[in-house]
Amino acid sequence: MTLEDSIKERILEWDEDGLIEICKSAMEKNEATPVELLKIIGNVMEYVGEMFEREEFFVPELIVASNTVKAAIDQVLDPAIKEMGGERETKGKIVLGTVEGDVHSIGKDLVASFLFSNGFEVYNLGVEVPATKFIEKAEEIGAKVIGLSSLLTMSMDFQRQVINELKSRNIRDKYFVIIGGAPTSEEWADEIGADGWADDAMEAISLLNKLLS
Amino acid sequence: MKLNRIKVLSKDEIQIIHSATMELISTVGIKVDAKDTRDLFKKNGAEVDDKTHFVKFSESLVKEQLKSVPNSFKLYGPDGSFNFEVNTNSTKFATIGTPVKIYDPSHKKGIRKTILEDTIQQIRIVDSLEHIICSHVDVWPNDIPYTELHCHCIREWARHSFKPYGLGCLGKMASQDMMNLVSIIVGGEEELIKRPRLIGFMNPTSPLHLPQIMTNGFFVFTKYKQPTIVAPEALAGTSAPVSLAGLLTQTNAEILGGIVLSQLYNPGAPVFFGTVSQTTDMRSGNSAIGSIETGLITAGIAQLARFYNIPSRGPGAVTDSKTFDLQNGFERLQTLMFAAQAGINYITCAGTYEATLLEALELLIIDDELAGIVLRALDGVTVNEDTIALDIIKKVTMSTQKGTTFLGEKHTLKHMRKELYFPKLIDRNRRATWRKRGSKDIMIKAREKVDEILKTQKGPGLSAEVEAELAEYTKMVSARTFNDYMRAEGISASSVTLPDGMEIKSDDK
Repeated sequence: MTLEDSIKERILEWDEDGLIEICKSAMEKNEATPVELLKIIGNVMEYVGEMFEREEFFVPELIVASNTVKAAIDQVLDPAIKEMGGERETKGKIVLGTVEGDVHSIGKDLVASFLFSNGFEVYNLGVEVPATKFIEKAEEIGAKVIGLSSLLTMSMDFQRQVINELKSRNIRDKYFVIIGGAPTSEEWADEIGADGWADDAMEAISLLNKLLS
Repeated sequence: MKLNRIKVLSKDEIQIIHSATMELISTVGIKVDAKDTRDLFKKNGAEVDDKTHFVKFSESLVKEQLKSVPNSFKLYGPDGSFNFEVNTNSTKFATIGTPVKIYDPSHKKGIRKTILEDTIQQIRIVDSLEHIICSHVDVWPNDIPYTELHCHCIREWARHSFKPYGLGCLGKMASQDMMNLVSIIVGGEEELIKRPRLIGFMNPTSPLHLPQIMTNGFFVFTKYKQPTIVAPEALAGTSAPVSLAGLLTQTNAEILGGIVLSQLYNPGAPVFFGTVSQTTDMRSGNSAIGSIETGLITAGIAQLARFYNIPSRGPGAVTDSKTFDLQNGFERLQTLMFAAQAGINYITCAGTYEATLLEALELLIIDDELAGIVLRALDGVTVNEDTIALDIIKKVTMSTQKGTTFLGEKHTLKHMRKELYFPKLIDRNRRATWRKRGSKDIMIKAREKVDEILKTQKGPGLSAEVEAELAEYTKMVSARTFNDYMRAEGISASSVTLPDGMEIKSDDK
């Protein structure tokens, strides 16, 4: 079995420990560099995405595959690349969170998972995230995108506050701000001056691919 | 446990209906038009009145004949590669209804008369479906002469489908043609008898009447051991008492009469305990197949069929609606769910609306999805340590990791495909996604599926030799007149009711 096949098999068996083991041993035996391993993993995730499009895989497969891969990247590949003085290449860095006054996380986490499995580097800040925290994290890591989630009609206005805060710091143009959540809409995004709105996780991916292309 | 069965009769009530049925059969009897069939009853101890044509028989004859009725049997497609079993526990789905018009949005009225091409398309769609496993002469080929349409239908079925087929047992001449034609296709009578390909519909006329043309064809089907469906279409308040218990008693006598006869013709012949009985709409006098009481009747028949240990057939996914509205939707599911939950073993009429007079190929796709949904419902709730999932509940609840949900658990991956039904047509997208994908309603999505199937579906086809033999046979049939048929059946043409608008060739001026 080739290295590619073993990696694919571990990911599709949802076997975190097995995947980590294969990555470690491949690096030790000089069979592949961390960057090459990332490429292989990226290909498998593309396959998972295709299976999802064909409705043969569903949301849980996507999430569990993401979690499996994330464990190997976070624990083995990222540290190895950093050790060599490099940085992992991704489609783009995204800071994501649920805005202040809102504790709903499932939809936002689904988006985070989908984005990660589509090759984005996601910084999930969790829930009840104040405007300043979104901005500080984005500045710190050099994000391209800030994603704001809100499930409550009452918390929607906090999405506007993040944008206003960016404006007051004169850094609005540095970021694409995208929003989502059940009560939000395209019209709402326009009203508060966001760069885009997505109705669900799949839409969020197409939106980002469009914005970042 | 599995979903509880719907019951409309208690054990005592089944016994009461059975006793009343036996009283009806032994004191009133059943009107049997065919002299040879009456003689057969007489030979087996029935009391026969050749003037009134009524045949009375005892419970002991019924009991004796029911002994040889099989409680399971198989049906095969033309090339034998596909088969399914019907038994007293199965839940199978099929078509039938004999629609004479079809939904066609390109037509100015939205519907038009059906032609052979529609018959073919219906056969091809059914061949591709997951749950609907048999088509019958549903879509009536109005462009084919009445006297030879069975030849065309059988040929097209064998060309295009891997699944079995059904036809009405209308007359011995036509039924014998059906046996001869299918024997040509499958390589002989012996093979046809060993592995049946056809279902025959035998409808007693309510109240309590077995017309000659039906028993003539019924005889041929049972002789070849092709499964037959004995199914009265009694209307509560018109051709049966308005009280459902009365209708159940009367139709029970009609069904048992037919089934007893099947065993007198050929012991061991496979037969369904069937119903398409429904109610009368008292405002108009029309039939009401989508009514809630149709569901109750179907449930009662399912119970009686189990009492006699015979596979049952009943209607589901039927509606009186003339359009694709909410009535169409809820009557479909209501009748389908009633039939399935009552334990009907062979549920028919998929793809039809307007009291089964209209066909929409889109509805076949939708009914296949409904069948999947209903089968999931019947499966109920599985309870064991793994499905109770205490460990997983604990793990997710106690997780300190951000955003842990059950979606990311392997337990979900392991169980979701069994626990949840995955619909193909039902839309659960959020509005923006739905809009982006064309704001399609279910009929549009079903149409796309129809188009896709018609582009790709391929049947087994027929060899040049078989084609030639069938053509030769059809040529012989084409030369017959309508009166040739009537003479063969021993009845006069005027006593036969033809479908609306049917034109026939006649040699009588």
